[in-house]
Amino acid sequence: MRGNLVVGGALVGVVVVTALVSLLWTPLDPQAVDASVRLLGPTSQHLLGTDKFGRDVLSQLMVGAQTTLYVGIVAVGLAAVAGVPLGVLAAMGPRWLGELVLRTSDLVLAFPALLLAIMLAAVYGASTLTAMIAIGVATVPAFARVARAGTLQVLSREYTLAARAGGRSRWWIAWRHVLPNVSGMVVVQSSVSFAMAVLAEAALSFLGFGTAPPTPSWGRMLQESQELLAVDARLALVPGLAIAAVVLGFNLLGDGLRDRFDPHLEARR
Amino acid sequence: MAARRSALSALASAAVLAAPLALAGCTAGSTAIVAGGPSTLAVGFTAEPQNFDFTTTDGAAIPQALLYNVYETLVKIDSDGEITGGLAESWDVSDDRTVYDFHLRDDATFSNGEPFTASDVEFSVERVKQDWTISLQSGMDVVDRVEVVGEYHARVVLSRPSNSWLRAMTTRIGAMFDPSGVADLANDPVGTGPYDVESRRRGDAVVLTRNPEYSRPGSPRPEPDYRTVVLKYYADATALNNALLSGGIDVISGVTAPDSVPQFEADNRFRVLQGTTNGEVVLAYNNRRAPLDDVRVRKALTYAVDRKALLEAAWGGRGELIGSMVPPTDPWFEDLSGEYPYDPDRARRLLREAGHESLRLNLRIANLPYAVSSAQVVAAHLKKVGVTVDIEPLDFPAVWLQQVFTDGDYDMSIVQHVEPQDITTFGDPEFYWGYDSERVQRLLTEADTAPPREYIADMRRVARTLSDDAAANWLFLFPNIVVAKNEVRGLQANQVSESFDLTGLRRQEPS
Amino acid sequence: MTVGERVAAGASPAVAIARRLVIFVVSVGVASVVVFAFMAVLPGDPAQVALGVNATPELVEQTRQEFGLDRPLVTQYLDWMGGLLTGDFGTSYVTKEAIGPQLLDRLGVTLWLVGAGMLVALLLAVPTGIVAAVRHRKPSGVIVSAASQVGVAVPAFLAAIILVQVFAVQLGWLPSGGWTPPAYDVGAWLSGLILPAVSLGLVQGAVLTRYVRSAVLDVQREDFLRTARAKGLRPYPALLRHGLRNAAVPVVTVLGLQLATLLVGAVVIERVFVLPGLGSMLLDAVAARDLLTVQSVVLVLVVGVLLVNFLVDVLYAVLDPRLRRS
Repeated sequence: MRGNLVVGGALVGVVVVTALVSLLWTPLDPQAVDASVRLLGPTSQHLLGTDKFGRDVLSQLMVGAQTTLYVGIVAVGLAAVAGVPLGVLAAMGPRWLGELVLRTSDLVLAFPALLLAIMLAAVYGASTLTAMIAIGVATVPAFARVARAGTLQVLSREYTLAARAGGRSRWWIAWRHVLPNVSGMVVVQSSVSFAMAVLAEAALSFLGFGTAPPTPSWGRMLQESQELLAVDARLALVPGLAIAAVVLGFNLLGDGLRDRFDPHLEARR
Repeated sequence: MAARRSALSALASAAVLAAPLALAGCTAGSTAIVAGGPSTLAVGFTAEPQNFDFTTTDGAAIPQALLYNVYETLVKIDSDGEITGGLAESWDVSDDRTVYDFHLRDDATFSNGEPFTASDVEFSVERVKQDWTISLQSGMDVVDRVEVVGEYHARVVLSRPSNSWLRAMTTRIGAMFDPSGVADLANDPVGTGPYDVESRRRGDAVVLTRNPEYSRPGSPRPEPDYRTVVLKYYADATALNNALLSGGIDVISGVTAPDSVPQFEADNRFRVLQGTTNGEVVLAYNNRRAPLDDVRVRKALTYAVDRKALLEAAWGGRGELIGSMVPPTDPWFEDLSGEYPYDPDRARRLLREAGHESLRLNLRIANLPYAVSSAQVVAAHLKKVGVTVDIEPLDFPAVWLQQVFTDGDYDMSIVQHVEPQDITTFGDPEFYWGYDSERVQRLLTEADTAPPREYIADMRRVARTLSDDAAANWLFLFPNIVVAKNEVRGLQANQVSESFDLTGLRRQEPS
Repeated sequence: MTVGERVAAGASPAVAIARRLVIFVVSVGVASVVVFAFMAVLPGDPAQVALGVNATPELVEQTRQEFGLDRPLVTQYLDWMGGLLTGDFGTSYVTKEAIGPQLLDRLGVTLWLVGAGMLVALLLAVPTGIVAAVRHRKPSGVIVSAASQVGVAVPAFLAAIILVQVFAVQLGWLPSGGWTPPAYDVGAWLSGLILPAVSLGLVQGAVLTRYVRSAVLDVQREDFLRTARAKGLRPYPALLRHGLRNAAVPVVTVLGLQLATLLVGAVVIERVFVLPGLGSMLLDAVAARDLLTVQSVVLVLVVGVLLVNFLVDVLYAVLDPRLRRS
């Protein structure tokens, strides 16, 4: 469905543009505290109102998009950089290596991101960094598996067989045929993993294992507004909707890209 | 046929996965179970005791649950800060103020059936000096010896006069133990109080039931109104609020989400009591470490924080500005909150004088709501005078204690100091303040041994000196906000002791 | 991941299961080393942490010996493992309580939560997934698909705090949190379990719906179903008679993987609903730097995930007719 691609792309696009804009400009200083304007509803000056510190919610939301994207990019980037070569190696290398990679990734899967992040926070203290690393490491197996499956598929195709018969080295084939053909699947996986990373970061911030204040983060905005839910639900709904929208966006984008790169994959998922 | 089997096998697979549930579910604790009803009271807290041994485990949660309720002291402190009788019905002090004669009540009995006598006083006081490991233990250093004069007459001899000692005896270090009841303090506390620990479910609740030994027929001590008190522990303020709102508990011992208080005030099912505590929320400066070893820098930072705005933003305006390490219930309290009026220009000037156009400081705080909120305001205010603040919330107590308190590795910190008379910590140069003032040390020593009237004057001088030195920034006094269902009576607005005192609570049917 | 990857090619089910068992046991061993090593590098002395700030160096040293912290790491590890094999998890440095019984108690709570969450997810996902697949070209099917997409995007804790606000605080129908063991009061237990289970199950149900949908779509394309339809069977009976077994195979795999997600998702949900399960035990232990407890809970959770994966593999070998034939 093209709809997925369009809607997902639009949602992700809005978040990316917001984050980029917030690097240069926000309506107000997102960290400026002003007790005289605390807990205001939407006004012309504060389009989304203010929080209990009198900070502008819209400005915080915009800068929060940076945190979300930053965590997602680093975590997913880490997972892809480590996972894809491992997956390709597992498929092309000796049989024992493939087996080792598979077993190890099964083992890593037993340490979900949240658990890893809590363990890391216990050792090094909670921070954006520990959250990113934990989410990244926990996502490596997903990339390794995708890359391995993709590589096996490519290796069974005629042109690779022909290249092999023609005396080309493994690594030439990997470079020339495997990587280009796997990249589509990696992009799809990145999009889906990104959505999961955003959810994981939100959960960690909610538990107090994420980004430290005062750097705005959607998860912490949600956590800070929890006590005010009965007083002013807006404060929780704004970051909540933002998280849901960006996760939805990346999931739809992933689906849309999948349909585009490989129409057969949709059904097998 | 095949289709039906396939549906069944899908179900069966779910059942296989569910099997261990049933098994484990059965063992899922039979403890901490109580009957509801009018004789049961459920009180909600946010900090759970790690164990029941406050002689070796620090922290406010254990005495909050046990002191006065399970363990009793010779003397108690009431909600106005006055010392009153406890296990001692009366006491005499010698003219040189070194000999205290305690006349004990003769009808107190430990929950293990042993009677409470003067030899238990000797045992308990000696034990503080020998076996306790928490920092408050040093309050007993001034005791020279304990004499058992009669079965119900104990004499405590101090090595020098001390104004603070009797007050310290109202805290956990004054708790009375039985020699045969200290085998497993962490799990099985034995005291003379109206309640006994019946069971606990870690992560959930501690259940106290009436101590049958507390009130014998003919005893003037009335039985507590509530037969069972469940102390329920919640991980955060919101869960605590929700529990009261949805009927899960009867009392919130202390609200830590002040912006949610109006919803209780507007609800006629509940009563809100607001009073004072001993808890000074302190922005600590590391006096030992540059640049905060420079008094100009400390003063600048103190001028740069608008404490009125901070209280408003961080704690909904609930609490009191005090400007010193003294709560209003201490006899030597003096309002010093006007000493450093908000003045960012002056702050910038002082910083420039000290040679700092810009500064970067870490703020290693306890990972608790009041500290996280206050820190964000402090950071925003300091930013305006060119000081960049890196907030680092540390798990409290474990990590904060290690990094800030023990290792002194911090620039600034925010934590609430709840111990009574904790102003004396500024007399200890090893304390994490890193504050080493010969004058304050001398004043504190003099004050403790001085006659009572000079004592108060001396203590005022200490508070003033600390303020002049900007030894720390006393942000505000933590408010005690108790919310209860209407029928629960006898709650205290002020939280002056270390205990959440259950002894006076009673139920009053709404008329 | 495809069917062929999960089970060794060409082997009989018994051999495949035995092979998986070996892998499971080795994985548990490696996981225990990882967990132990991780905790061993933790800065800060557990003895110091347990004793607080005012302890003398002698007392700290004495306590180190008492806890056995002065021995080589390998000895400590072997000792720990030896204890675990006999069900002895040791005694917490901080709470001074035995960890094993505590764990069992907490595990019970968490398993009920996960089980009930799974049930909610299944009740939600199976019917809606089938409807979405059968009607995938009709508006109602598209709406169901879209709704499940949105459901996937909502963080479970957000669903939880909204549910508490509505059903506990505003309407007062259900408790906002807390736990009553079923053995004590079944009614109270059930009413306390509903909101946490729904919070946990709602999001997972949305995820599962998508898998059920695509599994059913797959099956619908198969020849035998087309034949059945051609013979005049209506879509739902045709599916029920012929398709569900085949659709169940991929769904069970996902179910297993989701069980692992639920186990960890429970950590957050337990926090919101103040349930004394493994999650709150873990978070409390981390806050108190109660390392031995952290270590034990993490290991239990990890072994739980490995165990579920193992069971899924076993079920796979039993369920999948194609594999049985080979």
